[in-house]
Amino acid sequence: MTHHPPALAVRLLRWRLPPEWQDFILGDLEEEFRLRADTSPAAARRWFWRQAIRCAAAPPKPNNATRPFHLVDRPGDPFMRAILSDIRHALRVFIRTPSYALAVAAVLALGIGANTAIFSIVNAVLLRPLPFEQPDRLVRVFHVPPQTTFPGMETFPLSPANFLDYQRESSSFEAMAAYNFRQLTLTGTGNAEALRVAVVGPDFFRIVRTQPTLGRTFVAEEYDPARAKVVVISEGFWRSHLGAAPDTVGRTLTFDGQTYTVVGVMPKRFSMNAWGATMVPMWAPLAWTDKDRTVRENHNYQGIARLKPGVDLAQAKSELQVISKRLEQAYPAENAGWGGTAIPLQELIVGDIRRSLLMLLAAVALVLLIACANVGNLILARSMNRRKEIAIRAVLGAGRRRVFQHLLVESLVLSIAGGAAGLLLAQIVISGGASLVANQVPRAEEASVDVRVLLFVLAASILTGILAGLVPALRAGRTDLNDTLKEGGRSDASGAGSLTRRALIVAEVALSLMLLMGAGVMIRSLQALRHVDAGFNPRSVLKMDLNLPDARYKEPAQRRAFYDALMDRLGALPRVQSAGWVDTLPVTGGGSVQPLVIEGRAELNPREQPTVSVRVASAGYMKTMEIPMLRGRDFRSGDEHALLVSASAAKLLWGDTDPVGRRATLPLISRTRTIEVVGVVGDVKEQLAEKAPPTVYYYMRDLPFGDASVALRTSADPESVARAAVAAVHAMDAQLPVQAVHSMDEVIEETLVNERFRALLLEAFAAAALMLASVGIYSVLSYLVRGRRREIGIRTALGARTSDVLRLVLLEGLKPALLGIAIGTAGALLAAGMLDKLVFGVKASDPLTLAVVAGALLLVSIAASLLPAWRATKLDPLTILRDS
Amino acid sequence: MWFKSRSAALGDFEQLVLLGVLRLDDEAYGAAIRQEIHARSARDVSINAVYTTLDRLESKGLLRSWVGEPTAQRGGRRRKFYALKPAGTAALRHAYHALQSMAAGLEGRLNAK
Repeated sequence: MTHHPPALAVRLLRWRLPPEWQDFILGDLEEEFRLRADTSPAAARRWFWRQAIRCAAAPPKPNNATRPFHLVDRPGDPFMRAILSDIRHALRVFIRTPSYALAVAAVLALGIGANTAIFSIVNAVLLRPLPFEQPDRLVRVFHVPPQTTFPGMETFPLSPANFLDYQRESSSFEAMAAYNFRQLTLTGTGNAEALRVAVVGPDFFRIVRTQPTLGRTFVAEEYDPARAKVVVISEGFWRSHLGAAPDTVGRTLTFDGQTYTVVGVMPKRFSMNAWGATMVPMWAPLAWTDKDRTVRENHNYQGIARLKPGVDLAQAKSELQVISKRLEQAYPAENAGWGGTAIPLQELIVGDIRRSLLMLLAAVALVLLIACANVGNLILARSMNRRKEIAIRAVLGAGRRRVFQHLLVESLVLSIAGGAAGLLLAQIVISGGASLVANQVPRAEEASVDVRVLLFVLAASILTGILAGLVPALRAGRTDLNDTLKEGGRSDASGAGSLTRRALIVAEVALSLMLLMGAGVMIRSLQALRHVDAGFNPRSVLKMDLNLPDARYKEPAQRRAFYDALMDRLGALPRVQSAGWVDTLPVTGGGSVQPLVIEGRAELNPREQPTVSVRVASAGYMKTMEIPMLRGRDFRSGDEHALLVSASAAKLLWGDTDPVGRRATLPLISRTRTIEVVGVVGDVKEQLAEKAPPTVYYYMRDLPFGDASVALRTSADPESVARAAVAAVHAMDAQLPVQAVHSMDEVIEETLVNERFRALLLEAFAAAALMLASVGIYSVLSYLVRGRRREIGIRTALGARTSDVLRLVLLEGLKPALLGIAIGTAGALLAAGMLDKLVFGVKASDPLTLAVVAGALLLVSIAASLLPAWRATKLDPLTILRDS
Repeated sequence: MWFKSRSAALGDFEQLVLLGVLRLDDEAYGAAIRQEIHARSARDVSINAVYTTLDRLESKGLLRSWVGEPTAQRGGRRRKFYALKPAGTAALRHAYHALQSMAAGLEGRLNAK
């Protein structure tokens, strides 16, 4: 295949090189380019560009002293020369009137800057590929749970036996790996520290196709439970804990009292925060025992796979479905109703955020449009004042096209200056703001100015310049020479251009209304979420997470004793009213969902067996969270095993009969133990915007696990108790890591960050829009009043009262504003569909919000019109009439 | 030196270009000279610098040039070839000897790492 040098660079060289050298230099460059392109076309193109730019910057100067001095025969074509002269002229004009140029450039800088900042996030999240080789071939593999027992749930983790069957029987994938997460307590490197470790199956690293920078990943023997005490660490952990030592491989770390050997260090780019499997500080081999491999009904492993070349997603999905059908028939007790599916990794990571980001991009584009309308207005006003200059140019032989081009170049120079300033602004916003949204928007922390963002700024600047300058330039081109020159340069606004101006006001007001409406709806949605009754009282509650390491707390009774003693100790602290714990707090996400079988009824197959959220909780938890007791009694510390059921769980499982005193089993925990229901409690929401799931609270004598979230109800600011609470834990076990110490209010606010982020940005955009629109109305009206001075003067002389003049000017401003409000309302209602999925507790077309927003906009329009109107009433008819 | 040298004094880059022409014999044209300098001295110079220097050396009377036939791998463009004139050879020889005698006895220190 023949490669050709970049055409634009060749063109640049033709333009800059002296004609007698062109053949040799272009030939030489193309020859070397082809040589280089054989190894790497991209590098060759870069090389060619570098050479071209260096040649263009300092073209070879031929030494012939005899060469005549050319006046006419300048290099380059006349079009380029005209553009260059226009640019020079524009710069001269702007230096003469810097305030105008600065005002325009500043408005555009704000508009383009805001757009660039949002685009750079969109770029990082939606456009930049994941940092793996051929990331579009990576898919996550899931179960599809039976809809009768898991209504609304589209995906579910895999069970080991089913995963192994998928892996063995499918042919769509190059490889498939299971993984999940474990909490390990690291000791021996300062404070004890709980780390979340990804435990990954064979082929995991082959699927993501990433090599360690140091050492190796796991070898086959290390997936044997007896030999699995090895870890691969992340670049971040390597720096923070091992000082980036080059001899790290082979060192050992102590987790839960056991020694692990570091076998490799992954590169920095591999630590992507948006995917659980890569955001961890280290990876350990997933070592299933033969018993683990046979588990079919306990679903707690994630699956990742790479599609074979040539296999598409639909094929892979249908293959998983076929295998699932076969598994349903082979193991009906465990698998009835369980399907399988594959979803691209990229889609899972970006998923929900796409809509949100595109909405913001659309909103910020509206701000830029308003800025364009404003700038268009300014340019128009100026070109009207320059009608005489333009007419003289035309008389001297400048064609209409030439004048048009000249004005367009002026606005382009301004918009590109604005774009450059906007880029700077965006850079500041990104470096300051990206980390703020990083937790909420996947991959947002990767936002930066790259080539694509630069191209976006360039395109936005050029488009803005054309958009803002087009209308004024077209108008100016249509100027009637005769009239203009006769008028003696007096600008008369009642004629040309005033219709255009009014249209610009209409557009600004309409666009502002749409933005205000969006912001208004977002704010109301946020308020609705903040005031949701989640079923517990989050005020004055402090929480912290504990995890007892298995190595030191081997026996279930030890764990029970620890937590019982801790609750006593915490409950006795000053300013603490009660203490309790649960395995997973509400609104923090996660938690176990299990089937529940009522005593006396047969266990159904998984398709029909009802499931409930199961929370292991302590006595005192209900009291601490203020979850209301509806019937029966709370847990007591003397209980062996007991259940509390939420109202919706009682309804789901027992219908209208009273569940208190009934018994049930949780087969995933124990098939033989039947547990008595001792009470019914209120429903608690897991997610603020969703319905409360049916929940069962389980009080168990012997704790099979060591992690718990402790909650304290306090009589003062919960943060004021934090230090004493942590000290109380450490008084019992100094080695125990205490994590995530927060007030429950903070936890809830944390879940709203996404909504807050959206509302905040929309508010900022709406404020900018409102400001731009009011400035626009004010400047256009001032201009119109100036143009109608004579008319107003005559009216006043003929006896018009102040109120008449006021009404005349106000109406002048309000008519386009009202039209704008009408059009904006229609636009907002049309765009409501885009917002509806993003708001909670309010419709995107909410009439109350719409009325408030329209009223506010009307008030702003009146305020912006008042000053010019007031000025009009102060005009002295005598002076005006004498002047003209 | 108390007598005026008859050969023109050469700049550092001029020496490299002349050595390139000498080395390439009758295959000396812009791109080849550029690559030769890049390969041997690790100086990645731009093609325009090479041509500016070649042109200057030609106008000083140290080089002569002729134009070759157009070839396909250059997109149908012609090459401009250069060769040393006797004055060029003399100037180069002079510069080389000057460097050699200035460096005499210092080889150990100059080659030391």
